[in-house]
Amino acid sequence: MSSPSHSSAAVGHDHGHDESKFQIYVQIAMLLAVITGVEIVAVYLPFAKWIIVTSLVVLSAVKFLFVIFYFMHLRWDKPFCTILFFIGLVIAGATAWALIALFQAEASLPLPT
Amino acid sequence: MSSHAATIDHHHDPTTSTGIPNKKLLMWAFLASDCMFFGTLISTHLIYRLHPPAGGLDPKAVFSPELTSFSTFILLMSSLMMALAVTAIQKGNVKSCRWSLLTTIFFGMIFLGCQVYEFQHFVYDKKMTLSNSLLGTTFYTLTGTHGCHVAIGVLWLVLMYVRSFKPGTGSAQRTWFSAQILHAATLIVLLLLVLKVTLGLVHALQVEPGFGAAMTSFLKHEFLGIAGMMLALWGCVWFARPRGPVQFGVANAIDVESMGLYWHFVDIVWIVIFTAVYLLEYL
Repeated sequence: MSSPSHSSAAVGHDHGHDESKFQIYVQIAMLLAVITGVEIVAVYLPFAKWIIVTSLVVLSAVKFLFVIFYFMHLRWDKPFCTILFFIGLVIAGATAWALIALFQAEASLPLPT
Repeated sequence: MSSHAATIDHHHDPTTSTGIPNKKLLMWAFLASDCMFFGTLISTHLIYRLHPPAGGLDPKAVFSPELTSFSTFILLMSSLMMALAVTAIQKGNVKSCRWSLLTTIFFGMIFLGCQVYEFQHFVYDKKMTLSNSLLGTTFYTLTGTHGCHVAIGVLWLVLMYVRSFKPGTGSAQRTWFSAQILHAATLIVLLLLVLKVTLGLVHALQVEPGFGAAMTSFLKHEFLGIAGMMLALWGCVWFARPRGPVQFGVANAIDVESMGLYWHFVDIVWIVIFTAVYLLEYL
């Protein structure tokens, strides 16, 4: 008698967990859509360029992190997956930063034609 | 104990030394390498935008923020549907998983349609080709590579959707492979025809002076496409008819999850492209 009730309680718990996960996904999707809307509006606002660029970078980073930690399950996965992905991400970011910095050097500027 | 047996832990696999399923580990390693690939493409585009050649095209005169914002929203919604497909198959709900996969395919095709339309508009109306400007070269290389990733993702989704119909027992198992090749081919033909017909409708609405003239031109040019689309749709419905138990369930959750990781990655790359390539141009 106790086994089925225990089992149904477990199923109920799983059902509740799935329901909450569904709600989390929908809420995150709505949040991402709102952030995208804010990004589009932000570029037309009459603020200093550096403020808008910083805001866009921060908003994109927030969207990026929400997708990888929730939709891609990194929040619930083993930390090794996060480390593995961030190795690639950090190398990519560092390469991009190095290339942009390199091309800003005076010697790298294109010659006037 | 019973609750433990009833709940499958989808995130930790005791049979591997890392505790992570090998398919998932492979996908994360691939995505890490793909980060570097897109990192170089994005930085190349940014470098040439920071040092534009004299007399080059003005991106503000070329880009369309409305269309790009719409495709960004569509890709975000496709990510939601993909996450729901993974959750559904983890619960063993095959029907819900199929519908979520189909919706993800639908959103993916809308994104590809927007990209085809955008490229066509840029080449023919804005005169920006792959080779006539540095902006065109870096832009088409970057967004085209991303588009190829989306197209591969859509193909993968189609194959996974078709895979979900593999019969469990009986004589149908013997003919399953050839039947499902036809199923996949029919679905791909349907998607391509829908894309062609939709683009044809948009083109007619833009070119013709009135709505009536646009519809007449559209029906005249796309009649065969619409007929083929209806036939392919009927074929897809016929292939998807209920035929008893299937060999697709909780055990395949890791396959759907790996595919989902790839799809979400395509989404996060677009998040970066949307800001770095499009939005920053409007400052």
